Amino acid sequence: MRRREFLKLAATSATGAVLFTGCGSIGNGNPPSEFKIESPVWNPNDLRYGRDAWFATAAPPSIGGYGIIVRVFEGRAKKVEGNPDFPINLGRSCAKAQALVQELYHPDRVGAPLRLAGQRGSGQYQAIGWDEALGQVAGLIQQAPGSTLLVTEPLNGALGAIVEQFVRATGIQHASLEPDERVVLREAMRRAFGVESFPTLDLANARFLVSFSADFLHTWISPVQFARAYGAFRQGRPDVRGTYYHVGPRLSGTAANADRWLPIRPGAEGLVALSMAQVMLEEGLVEEANAEPFFKALGLTPEQLAADFAPERVADATGLSAEQIRELARAFAEQRPSVAIAGTSAAASTNGLFNLVAVFALNYLVGSVGSEGGLILNPASPLPDELPANRSGDAYRRWVELARQIAGGQITTVLVHRANPVYSLPPASGFQDALRSAGSVVSFSSFLDETTMLADLVLPDHTLLEQWGLVVPDPGPGYQVVAVQQPVVNPFVDSRAFGDVLIQLAAQLGKPLPWPSQEEAVRALADTLRGLGRGNVAADHPRAYFVTMQAQGGWWDERARAGEASPQAATAPANPEFSGEPGQFPFYLLPFPSDALGYGEFSHLPWLQGLPEPVSTNVWGTWLEVNPRTARDIGVETGDVVRVVTPQGSAELPVYVNPAAMPDVLSVPMGQGHTAFGRYAEGRGVNPLELVAPQVERETGALAWAATRCRLELTGRRMRIARLEGQVPAFQLEEFPIIQVTRPRT
Amino acid sequence: MPRWGMVIDLDRCIGCGACVVACQAENNVPINTEDVYHQRRAIEWIRLERYWDGEYPDIKARYIPVPCMHCQNAPCEPVCPVYATYHTSEGINMQVYNRCIGTRYCSVNCQWHVRFFNFWEPKWPDSLKNQLNPNVTVRSRGVMEKCTFCIQRIVKAEHQAKLEGRDLRADEFTTACAQACPTDAIVFGDLDNPNSRVAQLVNSAVNERGYRLLEDLGTEPSVYYLKKVDLEAPVEEHSSHQG
Repeated sequence: MRRREFLKLAATSATGAVLFTGCGSIGNGNPPSEFKIESPVWNPNDLRYGRDAWFATAAPPSIGGYGIIVRVFEGRAKKVEGNPDFPINLGRSCAKAQALVQELYHPDRVGAPLRLAGQRGSGQYQAIGWDEALGQVAGLIQQAPGSTLLVTEPLNGALGAIVEQFVRATGIQHASLEPDERVVLREAMRRAFGVESFPTLDLANARFLVSFSADFLHTWISPVQFARAYGAFRQGRPDVRGTYYHVGPRLSGTAANADRWLPIRPGAEGLVALSMAQVMLEEGLVEEANAEPFFKALGLTPEQLAADFAPERVADATGLSAEQIRELARAFAEQRPSVAIAGTSAAASTNGLFNLVAVFALNYLVGSVGSEGGLILNPASPLPDELPANRSGDAYRRWVELARQIAGGQITTVLVHRANPVYSLPPASGFQDALRSAGSVVSFSSFLDETTMLADLVLPDHTLLEQWGLVVPDPGPGYQVVAVQQPVVNPFVDSRAFGDVLIQLAAQLGKPLPWPSQEEAVRALADTLRGLGRGNVAADHPRAYFVTMQAQGGWWDERARAGEASPQAATAPANPEFSGEPGQFPFYLLPFPSDALGYGEFSHLPWLQGLPEPVSTNVWGTWLEVNPRTARDIGVETGDVVRVVTPQGSAELPVYVNPAAMPDVLSVPMGQGHTAFGRYAEGRGVNPLELVAPQVERETGALAWAATRCRLELTGRRMRIARLEGQVPAFQLEEFPIIQVTRPRT
Repeated sequence: MPRWGMVIDLDRCIGCGACVVACQAENNVPINTEDVYHQRRAIEWIRLERYWDGEYPDIKARYIPVPCMHCQNAPCEPVCPVYATYHTSEGINMQVYNRCIGTRYCSVNCQWHVRFFNFWEPKWPDSLKNQLNPNVTVRSRGVMEKCTFCIQRIVKAEHQAKLEGRDLRADEFTTACAQACPTDAIVFGDLDNPNSRVAQLVNSAVNERGYRLLEDLGTEPSVYYLKKVDLEAPVEEHSSHQG
């Protein structure tokens, strides 16, 4: 037997072994032998032994869709780096992208198609073949296409195009799930600027930045893009150091970098912004001509602004002093170019849309919309019809309606790809209960997450490093960009690309899609880019064109920028509303997306679980952040377990005394509380969405997860919080300071 | 002969932890499980420390990434009875894993606590072993490990330069932490090459922000920090005590 044949055989048997272990576990033991000699990896044809190969591909759209390169050694992906040529990140990357290799080689990946072999939710599955699995799904769709619902992440790029075609051809319903504050942000962009895509910031040229609760360096829309610019904002210019103020109810990992943090009441972001505008106009700090679009975006008259939003009038409601608001307004108006952004919890209030529109409209006042050092709007996708950028996810309100339809039997079959609605929607939505009773549930997830645990059939998807794709990063860098995803390794288990599955299903249903495979779709759509005759790729032959795109990681056209922006619709001022009477529930409950785990979609990766949350340095769990004085008044300290009670429910959490917590705000990180999703995610911590009342943003219907009040009850128990702080004795000593600070040079 | 060193700009650092995970991915650092944290035995060759300054509402949280300082007068080196901890000719404080007998004297003598002992055999599920970097030894139980300035990358670059019959170019490669850093806060390179970015940052008269961690101990660290800029900092200020 030749060596190559032997390897092939070994590969087949290794994959076969996966099939037979049932739930797709790839190996639990730690055998004394460190490595198996035979490779479980199906090696590619172009393998060169002993040499590194680097492949350019793209990070997931949810963390910015930026360009990455992956080191592949003998058929295995080893290391992710940023793509140095890619315009969004220029070689930079983040912890989440680094951890993509752990998703690829995760021990709890679903190794083959599975069929439910017990009660729904029992997690008992039996491996089946792809043909059987596809046949069953095709049968389900054929029975009642109008009663079939497909749930995905927001559509993007080539996969988005395939899904869209599939939905159109088969006539099924489609809904997409993304964190609700992104739904609000998209609507704010539409109303305030008339654009469909997220904005970017020209921080490298800005002098002053104010962020209203937006966690833009860690979790907000495109952290790597902003972080790279932030480095230049601080220290990239010889004579200017940008100044950054943060306004918001929590000193987040991002806010900790601010020159000044102004703690405000949750949901008061828009009020502060309007008051700033009032000061700027009253004191003549901004040009009158710039005021018109500002007033149009908010549907206000100058008289109304002057009458209702003077700092003295709103100070109490915001939690700031009138003087603080005045100083902030002056700094923003005088240190131009200045830019204002809002997001994260600002959008997750009942008045989230108003908060965002009010803050983003401030940029009109200082002339920062689309100008150097300001807020840069992004153009639409270069092929808006063929290659969608992220189409907005559906708001919470629609999910409640869909849950009702599933429970009522109008929707009988639910197909879910990647999204995890059972975890990401609060139980109050009724989605989880509805899905339990649904006629049929099919999941296309790579992992047995909470939603997949309720599935009758699991058709495992490739992970990101195994598949073809075209991604339209949202936000882009201010001009049109498309990233190419390509498989850097052969599939590690018997999974199939979701696009390929849809294409095959469509063919079985007698409604073939225009492409024979996901790869062909990517190639065909890339070739449409060639048809545009612009951009950085120059090649006449389609093949040469695509290879160039692959080699550099994508296509971009620096001249294709957004046009003039103007407000499209007015968003009237509104006050935040909270569930729970202040007398009974004295604290605000403020969930926040976790720096490493996001909204829980990265909780299955051990590197990210073990990465300390920057401010608390806590790991592997959920905690409740309490102000030191509040903690003293209640009589708790770090490690004491308390019961957090909201009008919606209760949960027990350990206290972490956070010296920067506001006295009446209790913060809880999102991302934990998984009941499934692999060994590293399961059974740790609490999902704060189980505590939040089903309050919605009043205009968009998005979930307002920062609009619930709570109270604390002592349990008398204690637990240890796993964290980095205290691992080593490290102190800021007066005589030997660890972190030294200095004044800015003048 | 190069003299490797690093500059970390605290005014750029945002505390994102990309360096921490990049280092773990590059250097086969064992997974820091919850138990490991409870035992206070987490291994992070580069870690992100956070210090509080002030009280609510005038409070600041400040970040500092801490890798091995690669001291030129390293206190960890002379105490090793078996010469497992030694100084390379290129200025790196190196650990020879197969000499190490686990006395942990070096760790006791390190003021920066950047040496980590493997109390247990590192464990990965079989499938995750596919990710391990073939250029880096997996350390076994009873062995001390630490930041190597990504020695495998240095060796590879030097080998390549030798094959091509040339000197190393300034900044032709970098460490995993510096490569990942999204804000460009970490810069690695040859302190003796005037064209390298580290040398320029360290030497430039413009940059009066430079300092070294616990410099007064006289160990001559090869890692330089640039001070955090604070609008309210007193003229010659140190932030206050808090761990």
